Amino acid sequence: MNKDITCTALVQEKLNLLQQNTHNTVNTLLDTLALDLAAKVDAKIANGETIGLLEGIPFGIKDVYMVQGTYTTASSDLLKNYKSAYTATAIQKLLDAGAIPLVKENCDSFGHGSSSENTIFGAVKNAINPDLVGGGSSGGSAVNVAKDYTIFSIGGDTGGSVRQPAGYNNVYGLKPTYGRISRYGLMAYASSTDCVGPIAKSIEDIRIVLNVMSGKDIKDQTSYVSAEITQEAISTTDNIKTVGYFKNFIETDAIDAKIKSDFLETIEKIKAKGIQVKALDFFESETLVSTYYTLAMAETASNLSRLDGTNYGNRIESDNLKETYAVTRSENFSEETKRRIVGGNQVLSQGFSDEIYLKGLALRDNIANNFENDFQEVDIIISPVTPSTPPKIGDSLKNPHAMYLSDAYTVGFSLGQLPTLTIPQGTTTGLQITAAKHNDELVLKFANFLKDTI
Amino acid sequence: MSKIMTVDVLSSIKGAQPSEAVNKLFEVIKNANTTNNNAFNNHNNALSLNDLRDDVVIDSSDTEKQIIIENFPKEKNGYLVVSKVIEE
Repeated sequence: MNKDITCTALVQEKLNLLQQNTHNTVNTLLDTLALDLAAKVDAKIANGETIGLLEGIPFGIKDVYMVQGTYTTASSDLLKNYKSAYTATAIQKLLDAGAIPLVKENCDSFGHGSSSENTIFGAVKNAINPDLVGGGSSGGSAVNVAKDYTIFSIGGDTGGSVRQPAGYNNVYGLKPTYGRISRYGLMAYASSTDCVGPIAKSIEDIRIVLNVMSGKDIKDQTSYVSAEITQEAISTTDNIKTVGYFKNFIETDAIDAKIKSDFLETIEKIKAKGIQVKALDFFESETLVSTYYTLAMAETASNLSRLDGTNYGNRIESDNLKETYAVTRSENFSEETKRRIVGGNQVLSQGFSDEIYLKGLALRDNIANNFENDFQEVDIIISPVTPSTPPKIGDSLKNPHAMYLSDAYTVGFSLGQLPTLTIPQGTTTGLQITAAKHNDELVLKFANFLKDTI
Repeated sequence: MSKIMTVDVLSSIKGAQPSEAVNKLFEVIKNANTTNNNAFNNHNNALSLNDLRDDVVIDSSDTEKQIIIENFPKEKNGYLVVSKVIEE
């Protein structure tokens, strides 16, 4: 162990960086809690006690996770004074492993957005160019990691909210297989695709954090038992023979010319290593985006119906109960959140549900079947993370439909519930590596291979 | 009973209207071809009924209860104050 710096000094240094930062990444600083925990780690080291891999490691938490006694605002007016009564399972596991939480991080309100501009705490600024967006919805988390304000951060990925900001800020971001990490204590957006996801600067850090958070949790019925991924298991690529990519993602006018040429260059480098590369057919981007948003809006309309200011939240009193609900929700939700709730209620209404919502579910089945067939033919699928480079701050809010379409390359894997990792290589906004369901190990293995190949 | 509920009422959001950006997405779904239109074949999200948690009440900790009370938007003598419900 290198004892050049105490844990307290390390934590204080990071807290100072977070406090002074101008990228709008911080919703709440957990300074008292972090320094108390750091002092305990220092005491353990002084007593000669063994410490774990994550002991004393400072990390950030997207402001949609419950951490008992801390504010959990979801970057919204409605919950700006809401205190978590309990701690999310994934976060509790990190605390039990000795990691030290520094900050609740800025994000799009309730995860509704792809730029981290839809927040009451000010738009998150990109780590590389502060005139551009930080990406979203886990923008604050990705920027904190990229700027070394946190060693790792825990984001949430429903349709790309970890992978896209990771790509925009040149760091690693993993959406594990749906259910690998318990969602208990993660504020629900679209329950059938919500995933807890780590953001870090190395594959090794992603592996360690993933292992700690994974596992069956009785409080989330969709969670499952998974085996630990060892360092040895992901250090060789013997069993990766075939890689696929979706040709319609690349052969389109919607993709930035440089992202396209860089991606094709990566394909050539993979081929040069003796791996077979197959061009695969896939659904049109518009179909993927529309299917995802239809289902996500229906689910968020349902999940957010509980937010009416009765038991908690910024209640605004009006003439009677119904008026109180309506005024509270109208005044406290952002325009984007309202747009999604209304869209969700539209598709869940009688007369609309058959031709839109149920058809959306059928399309999702088709998409999942397509993936199952693809993984009979290839071991890994690679794709760009985004069709374009990060937009300027202010541009996404003007055109919500364009923002939805910018998620074209990430939402399909969410619908398929597949493990997908963004790596900061291959194109300006990175590459996504996807494997079949439950094969998160193979994703990390191929990432290690690409690290040395491209 | 046939009472038409508009989206603003369904959503409890005053003056809410369907948006053009979202309607464009729905148009794509309406016009999409599916190989199977029967959503009841959906098998992706089903959970096993053999692995449910025990149906028992677990009492919250004192800290949890205290924070829940702290979060009350309006409180009187330790009780949550809500608007009077008027039957329509």
